[in-house]
Amino acid sequence: MTGPEISTAPVVVIGGGIAGLAATRELVRNGLDAVLYEAGPSVGGMADSHSDAEGFTFDTGAHFITNRLAAATGVDQHCRDVEHYAETVWLNGRSYEYPTGLMRVPRFLRAAIGERLRRAAAPPESAAERCRRDYGPALADEIAVPLLEAWSGAPASELSAAVVDKIPGGIAETVGLKIAARLTHRPVAIGYCREAPQSANVWHVYPERGISTVCEQLAADVADSVRLKSPVERITVSEGRVVGVRVAGQQVPAAAIMSTAPINVLPRLVEGTDVLEPFRAFRFRPMVFVNLRMRGRNVLPQTLTWTPEPQFPFFRLTETPQAMPWLAPPGKTLITADIGAEIDDEMWTMDDADLGEICIDTLTQIVPTARRDYLGCRVVRQPLAYPVFHQDYEADRQRLATTTGVDRLVSIGRNGEFAHILMEDVYWRTVRRARQLAAELKAAVDPSGLVSAGT
Amino acid sequence: MTRSPTRRLRSDHPISGARPLALESTHCCICGTREAEPVGVGEDFEYRSSPDSFLAVRCERCGVVYLDPRPARAELATIYPDTYHAFSFTEDNFGLVYRVRRWLEARRLLAACGTLPADAVILDVGCGDGFHLDLLREYGPPGWRLEGVDLDPRAADAAVARGLVVHRGSIEDLELQADRYDFAILVQTIEHVADPAVVLRAIRRVLRPGGRVLVVTDNTGSVDFTIAKRRHWGGYHFPRHWYLFDERSLRRLAAHTRLSVDSLDTMVSPVNWVYSLRNALDDWGAPRPLVDWLSLESPIPLAAFTVFDWLHQRAGRAALLRAVLRREAE
Repeated sequence: MTGPEISTAPVVVIGGGIAGLAATRELVRNGLDAVLYEAGPSVGGMADSHSDAEGFTFDTGAHFITNRLAAATGVDQHCRDVEHYAETVWLNGRSYEYPTGLMRVPRFLRAAIGERLRRAAAPPESAAERCRRDYGPALADEIAVPLLEAWSGAPASELSAAVVDKIPGGIAETVGLKIAARLTHRPVAIGYCREAPQSANVWHVYPERGISTVCEQLAADVADSVRLKSPVERITVSEGRVVGVRVAGQQVPAAAIMSTAPINVLPRLVEGTDVLEPFRAFRFRPMVFVNLRMRGRNVLPQTLTWTPEPQFPFFRLTETPQAMPWLAPPGKTLITADIGAEIDDEMWTMDDADLGEICIDTLTQIVPTARRDYLGCRVVRQPLAYPVFHQDYEADRQRLATTTGVDRLVSIGRNGEFAHILMEDVYWRTVRRARQLAAELKAAVDPSGLVSAGT
Repeated sequence: MTRSPTRRLRSDHPISGARPLALESTHCCICGTREAEPVGVGEDFEYRSSPDSFLAVRCERCGVVYLDPRPARAELATIYPDTYHAFSFTEDNFGLVYRVRRWLEARRLLAACGTLPADAVILDVGCGDGFHLDLLREYGPPGWRLEGVDLDPRAADAAVARGLVVHRGSIEDLELQADRYDFAILVQTIEHVADPAVVLRAIRRVLRPGGRVLVVTDNTGSVDFTIAKRRHWGGYHFPRHWYLFDERSLRRLAAHTRLSVDSLDTMVSPVNWVYSLRNALDDWGAPRPLVDWLSLESPIPLAAFTVFDWLHQRAGRAALLRAVLRREAE
């Protein structure tokens, strides 16, 4: 069963976003033959950037990377340090810096301490319960739960407790990193990456020409392995193991497959097994990103402002030029309003101009001059923005975290892993999985380990 | 947080003005895998030879810390500029520090040589400007035959100018006579080479059975590494140190290259402490005179950190690793 086809067939990577490209590069660096099939005419996936004629640059959603990821992917020389990064929560007409400002509100602090003191032994059953326990009922009900529901499109009582992330490193480390950020005048990455250590020396940077630079560099490193306009139509599984793919009508053998396809789409691609069927039920929350062009600069209280109150159609505002001034022309700025939606609902189908109008109508509560300074908008609709951790399929989600259930079929990337992970975590997790797969394939060809593992 | 004027693009760095380097990916020099986790990220704080940032990773199997990606070999002339200190460590440039270091190094080196025959043949691999061979010529017995190897023509020229015998090239490519040398020196060299295992195997080939090699290198088991490993550690010497070891990984490397360990301990050095502090202050925009004061030419910080590192040596965690490895007689 570990016959010669394993050594001759390439590893097939599906999808040319950051995960697919990082996987391909790591497989090649581990001495394997890898081919990446991308359905579209260019690489980038969700890590794509757009520029318009007026000199505004925006990503699909708003991304940051770190100097560490920039060094690992080889784009460091194209990056600038991010100027400033901080988050705030807008509540009752004023902003509270996250997380320290919120802790200064007596009712939040009282409730949080009270909840800690009577901590229950049983693990929380839902995201709502977990929020109340972790943050106290006041903060949970006013901020955490409304945000979670806007973001997921489901009641927090129906979401898995796993969706509520703990701050990596805890409060003491967070405070230490905040102090380090002040001392070094650098936008130290706090709570951004879980797969590699946080430190005062890991901070946010951003490629001058947008986040797509990362994928372009990775693609250049593996140019010989990338096939554009090559949609994978079918994954063939035989006796529980992948054997090949059909690309543009052609059957191609595969030693293994690393797929970035959304996990709920993967069962539709696979033939020869039904173990992936439960993943069809997994849902992603669609998002409408309304990029509002405005006059002025630094008009929001912070780079990122959370808006949990129901009068706002959006739940989050990001003014990227606060962090990356070069993303907007001088004297102008860009605010991205994130609106949760469902495909074909009112928000999803609304006219771009109307979306801009309803955002501006309520934005005036935070930025009084918003109407006067508004210059128009551009809307990006993302059908697969965030995985929804619904209780209905929590057991299957946990299973997916270890395996797809098909031998040599590895599901990677944010949509493939169905995980709430940012770009640097996507990169390290993918690279690790590619190495594991490489080791497994080599061991199958050469169980003795006599052939050198190096390249 | 303060909002400063727009920071420059790295490739427009005011100091470097240099082009990005061609980089290549690499793997652990012992197990050959790439199963490594990121440890630190930094820049060429000392020479600003390029605008790149570099990633140091640690092999999960062997504990070796290495640069990945690292500069391609074609970039050696760029990352070792003409002002590189190994080419210009002279009494004229370094004064008191030079004299103290000579005296200390001579004592250490002769102790490491142990009992060698009066006509021993000694090879210094990565001899630089011939500093260590010169010490052996001055303080060792007159019958010792001393030879050096160096890849860099500027270093080799400097050593030849001192009247030393130098083989130009890398030890793995030079076809030196097998089983010839009684003792080899690999002082602060192994961390610079493209493949330490290949170099040690090449040295093993030219050592006579029972011959020994002295390895001195930066210690990733040291206290200064623990403190500064995320970015500023002097021992990274970004991007010139490609493989770095602690006691465990150096033992693994010795076993991997069929050399036995005669002795392995740590050795006091203030240099990485001084450079770790200097790199941090430079990185954080400290006043230039303060940054410049922390250098190999400044006796006060060197003396202070010597004492400090000596305290760590007592716990076996000083800045340098020192091993004597032996080619067993078959």
